[in-house]
Amino acid sequence: MLLKSQEHLSVLKVIIITALLIIFTSSLSVSTDVDDSLAYIWPLPAQFSSGNDTLSVDPALCLSVSGKGSGLKIVEEAFERYKAIIFEHEVEGVNSHSVFNNFRKRRSRGFDIGTLKIVVHSDNEELQLGVDESYTLLVAKNEGLSIIGEATIEANTVYGALRGLETFSQLCSFDYDTKSVLVYKAPWYIQDKPRFAFRGLLIDTSRHYLPVDVIEQIIESMSYAKLNVLHWHIIDEQSFPLEVPTYPNLWKGAYSKWERYTVEDAHEIVSFAKMRGINVMAEVDVPGHAESWGAGYPNLWPSPSCREPLDVSKNFTFEVISSILSDLRKIFPFELFHLGGDEVNTDCWSSTPHVKKWLRDHKLTAKEAYQYFVLRAQKIAISKNWTPVNWEETFNSFASNLNPRTVVHNWLGGGVCPKAVAKGFRCIYSNQGFWYLDHLDVPWDEVYTAEPLEGISDPSNQELVLGGEVCMWGETADTSDIQQTIWPRAAAAAERLWSRREAISTGNITLTALPRLHYFRCLLNRRGVQAAPVLNKYAREPPIGPGSCYVQ
Amino acid sequence: MWVLGVTERRVMGAFWVLNLVLFLVQVVGIKGAHGIGEHGVRIWPMPLSVSHGHKSLYVGKDFKIMSQGSKYKDASGILKDGFSRFLAVVKGAHVVDGDTSKLDQSRVLQGLNVFISSTKDELQYGIDESYKLLVPSPDKPTYAHLEAQTVYGALHGLQTLSQLCQFNFSSRVIEILMTPWIINDQPRFSFRGLLIDTSRHYQPLPIIKNVIDSMAYAKLNVLHWHIVDTQSFPLEIPSYPKLWDGAYSTSERYTMADAAEIVSYAQKRGINVLAELDVPGHALSWGKGYPSLWPSKDCQEPLDVSNEFTFKVIDGILSDFSKVFKYKFVHLGGDEVNTSCWTLTPHVSKWLKEHSMNESQAYQYFVLQAQKIALLHGYEIVNWEETFNNFGNKLSPKTVVHNWLGGGVAQRVVAAGLRCIVSNQDKWYLDHLDTTWEQFYMNEPLTNITKSEQQKLVIGGEVCMWGETVDASDIQQTIWPRAAAAAERLWTPYDKLAKEAKQVTGRLAHFRCLLNQRGIAAAPLAADTPLTQPGRSAPLEPGSCYLQ
Repeated sequence: MLLKSQEHLSVLKVIIITALLIIFTSSLSVSTDVDDSLAYIWPLPAQFSSGNDTLSVDPALCLSVSGKGSGLKIVEEAFERYKAIIFEHEVEGVNSHSVFNNFRKRRSRGFDIGTLKIVVHSDNEELQLGVDESYTLLVAKNEGLSIIGEATIEANTVYGALRGLETFSQLCSFDYDTKSVLVYKAPWYIQDKPRFAFRGLLIDTSRHYLPVDVIEQIIESMSYAKLNVLHWHIIDEQSFPLEVPTYPNLWKGAYSKWERYTVEDAHEIVSFAKMRGINVMAEVDVPGHAESWGAGYPNLWPSPSCREPLDVSKNFTFEVISSILSDLRKIFPFELFHLGGDEVNTDCWSSTPHVKKWLRDHKLTAKEAYQYFVLRAQKIAISKNWTPVNWEETFNSFASNLNPRTVVHNWLGGGVCPKAVAKGFRCIYSNQGFWYLDHLDVPWDEVYTAEPLEGISDPSNQELVLGGEVCMWGETADTSDIQQTIWPRAAAAAERLWSRREAISTGNITLTALPRLHYFRCLLNRRGVQAAPVLNKYAREPPIGPGSCYVQ
Repeated sequence: MWVLGVTERRVMGAFWVLNLVLFLVQVVGIKGAHGIGEHGVRIWPMPLSVSHGHKSLYVGKDFKIMSQGSKYKDASGILKDGFSRFLAVVKGAHVVDGDTSKLDQSRVLQGLNVFISSTKDELQYGIDESYKLLVPSPDKPTYAHLEAQTVYGALHGLQTLSQLCQFNFSSRVIEILMTPWIINDQPRFSFRGLLIDTSRHYQPLPIIKNVIDSMAYAKLNVLHWHIVDTQSFPLEIPSYPKLWDGAYSTSERYTMADAAEIVSYAQKRGINVLAELDVPGHALSWGKGYPSLWPSKDCQEPLDVSNEFTFKVIDGILSDFSKVFKYKFVHLGGDEVNTSCWTLTPHVSKWLKEHSMNESQAYQYFVLQAQKIALLHGYEIVNWEETFNNFGNKLSPKTVVHNWLGGGVAQRVVAAGLRCIVSNQDKWYLDHLDTTWEQFYMNEPLTNITKSEQQKLVIGGEVCMWGETVDASDIQQTIWPRAAAAAERLWTPYDKLAKEAKQVTGRLAHFRCLLNQRGIAAAPLAADTPLTQPGRSAPLEPGSCYLQ
C-alpha cells in the first residue's frame, strides 16, 4: 500500500522522478515518424515521458481508491464516466453480442492493466479558486517487481484526480484490429499541474436561452480540455431567464415562460459542474446591461422610454441588486462573482429629468455616477463575502477607487492586464482580438499564441494574472451552433492556460500543436461534442468537402 | 376542424368554440413571445385524431408504468427502456422537485397503463405502429391509458405523451394541460426515412445514436445508412478484412459489433436500419484493400464488371450484412454510374466485346447481378431511380425504386407496378441548404397518383443528409428542423396536413425548441432572408427560440 502520510514523499513521486531522470538522460530512440513523436494529450502535461511498450486495458477495469479522499463519490462517478468513454466500442469477448466472434480466434490472454489505482490525499472537496489540481500518473507494465504497477493516479485533491483521469482516458485508444483498448508508448510517467488557476469559458444565456441539458453538455466538454471555470453571463438586456425568489417578477424578463431557469436548475448546474471540477462564476452585469430587469420592475428603468442603464438615483435599484446577490449567494459558492460594469452609456441618466435632478443634487457628473454605481455594487458583493470581478472599463475609468480585491476582467484589447497588475489588481485575460469566440474570423493559431502574461515580466506581477477566459457571446449562438463555435478554438486557449509556457511557445506550432489539436477535435467528436473543423477560415463553418476528421 | 377526430364527433359541439380559438391562434401565428402557444395542440407530427378538454393534471412524483392485461411480456425490455427514456426527457428540462403528494390528489396522475396486444417484438417493414392514448380528466385521474398492437406503436404513444407534458414553473412539477386527451394515431406511410452518409465524413457512434434519438422524437422509422462510397470504406467486413483499409484513418471505422450496436440501439427505438452498398458507381474506396476491384489503378470506378471477384466480394459483404442488418430491405445504390472506365480499360473493354455488351448493358448486367445476390441472402432490394429509368422492366419485382432526381418519378414507378420511396432532391435533400422547411413540408409523395392501388405502392419517403459538408459538428443542425417538416408529411393523414406551411410555423418552432431542450442541436427555422440560407443557419440575432 502507499504511504498515507503527507510527510513522506510519496513512493509514486520517487518512482516518477527517477524514471524521468533515467529517460531524459538515456538516449531515447526517437521514431522517424514525426506524428508519432508527439504526445497526443491535450492540453500538454507539465512533465511527461513515454516508452515503447503497448499495454492492453481490461474492459472490466477496476477502480481502487485509497488515501484520505477515498470516500468521496466524485472520483467514483468520474471513473464510471471515463470507463464509458474508454470502452465506447465493444471489446472482443466481453458481453459480446457480436455474431462475428466465431470469425476470430478468441484470445484468452490476460490484460496488462486490470486496475486503475487512484490515491487522493485530502478529503477536502471544497472547490475554490486555486484548488490543487496537480496529479501524477503512471501507466506501466507491472513486472511483479514494483509495488506500484499498472495505472496509478496520485493527487492531493479529488480535482487533481479528475484531471489525471482525463489524461488517462486520452492515453487509451481502441485498436480496431485486436478489438481491444490499448495504451501505446508505455510506460508513461506524467507529472502535471496547471499553469493558471483560472481557466474559463463564458456562456451567455440572455441573448439566447440555453437549455439545462445543453449547459451540462458544455460543462462536460470543458472537463475534457481541463477548463475549470464556467463564467455564466446569466442576464443581459435581452432577457432575464433566472428565478430570483426575493423579486419574483424579475424573470418576467425571460423570452418566454419556457426559457427560464429555476433556482433548483441553477443548483443542479453548479453541482453538475463541481462533480467535474468546474466552478461556476455567475455574472450580474450592472448597470449597463440590465434592461430586461425592468420587464418585471419598470421602476428600475430611468423611464419607460429610456431603459438603460439601471436607474442610479433610486435606492430600490440597489435593494434589488442586494437581494439578487443574496439569493445567488446561496446558489454559487465560488468566491468570485462578476458584476459586469462594461459598456455603460449614461445618456439615459442625463436625459431623464428625475435622474438628472438627482445627479445635480448629489453633484455628480454622469461619469461619476457610473463610478458610484459600480462601487456601491462592489460593496454589496463584498458584504456577501464575494470577491468582485469587473470588466476592464471600471479599471480604465476609475482604477484608484476600485476595491483592492477587485479582479479586473480584460476584454477590449492587449496591454490591460500589465496595467492592472502593476497597480496591484488581479486580472483575467480575455483580449477580444483573440479570445472572443463570437469573433468568427480568428483562426486557431491566433487563439493558441495569445499569451496572458504578455508584457508582464516581474514574477510577483505575473502571479496576479489569475488566468484567462474565452468568451462565447450569444448573439448568434444558440443550442444549434454553440458547441461548434466554442470548439476547437476554446481548446487552443485551454492549452495556453494549462501547459508550461516554454513547452508551447517555441518551435513550429504547425508541427507541434496542430496535429495534436486535430486529434483532440476528433476526440471531442468521438465523445459526441460538435467540435468544428480546425482549419476552417471562419469558425463553425462546415467542412469544405469530404475528408478525414484528422486533417480538416 | 383539424383538431377533431372521427371518434369524437358526438362531443364536437362542446369543442366548436375552443377549436375556433385554436384555429385563430394557428393562422394568426405568433405575435409576442409571451403569447406563444399557451393553448393549442402542439404535438409534432400531428396525430390522426386528437380531442382534448381544458383542465390540467399533474404527473405524480412516482409516475409508473403498468401493463395490466397486456399480452406483450417485454422480455427484451423495449417498453421498460422506452418508459425510462420518456421519464428522462420529461423530467430533463428542469429540476422537478415539487411534491405532488401535497397537491389535490384528484388531479394527480399516478401512472400509465399500457396494453399491447401482440406478443412479438420483431421490428420489420410494415408493422403496426398505431396507438391510442387516453389521458383522463381530473375527476378520475389515476391512470392514463395507452393501447397498441405492437410495442413500437406504444413507443410512439410515449413520444406523444412526452410532448403533452411540460414543467410547471410555479408548482415545480410536470403537468399536462387541456385534459382529457383522446388521441388515435397511426402513420400514413410505413417508410419514413432519414439518410446519413458515413463515407464522405465518418460519424462517431455517439453522434449516430444522437441522430437516432432525435428521429424517434419525430416518429421517423428508417435510418438509411449510406455506409460506403467513393471516399471511404469505414465498415469492417469479416469476409473481406481488407475492405476497411479504405477508411479515412485507422480510427474512423466501425466494427461489425459497432454496426450491430447501432442496429440494436435503433430497434429499441422502433427504427429500422436500411444498409446501403452503392454499386457499382460509388465504390472506389473498396479498391484500397483489393485493387483488383478497380478496372485499373488509374481508372478506379465503377467496380470492375468483368471480374468475377467483384461479385464474390459483393456476395461476401451481403452475407455479412445479413447477419446484422435484419431489415427486409438492403439498398444497392446503382446511381450515377459513369462507365467510361469500363470502355477505357483494355481488359474490361475486351470482356464487353466478348459478351456482346455495350456499356449501358453492362451497367444493367451489374445491377441485376447484385440484385440476384441480395435476393439469395433473403433481402428485398432498394435501388436508386437511374436503374428504373434505364431498365425498369428488367428489375426484380421485389425492387423498391428510390426516387431522387426530381418530381414525377414515383408516378411512373407505381404505374409500372413497382414500389417507390420518394426523395426528390429539390425538396427532400437536406444538403440542399437553400431548400426551406416550408418546401420540405409541402412535398407530397402522392402527387399525381390517384388510384388507390398505386398509392399503396408508394411506401413512403426519405430525407437525405449527404455528408460532403456534414460531419459531427454540424449534422444535427443540418437535419433539424427541416427533417421534422417532412416527418409530419409522412406521418399525418393528408387531410390533416396544413394546406399552407405557414399554418404550422408556431407548432414546428415549438418542436424545434423541444429538440433543443432535449439536447439536439436543431437550427432556427430561419426566415428565408437574403442574409441567411434556410438550412443550418446560425440565429441572426438575439431572441427567443420560439420565434427564430
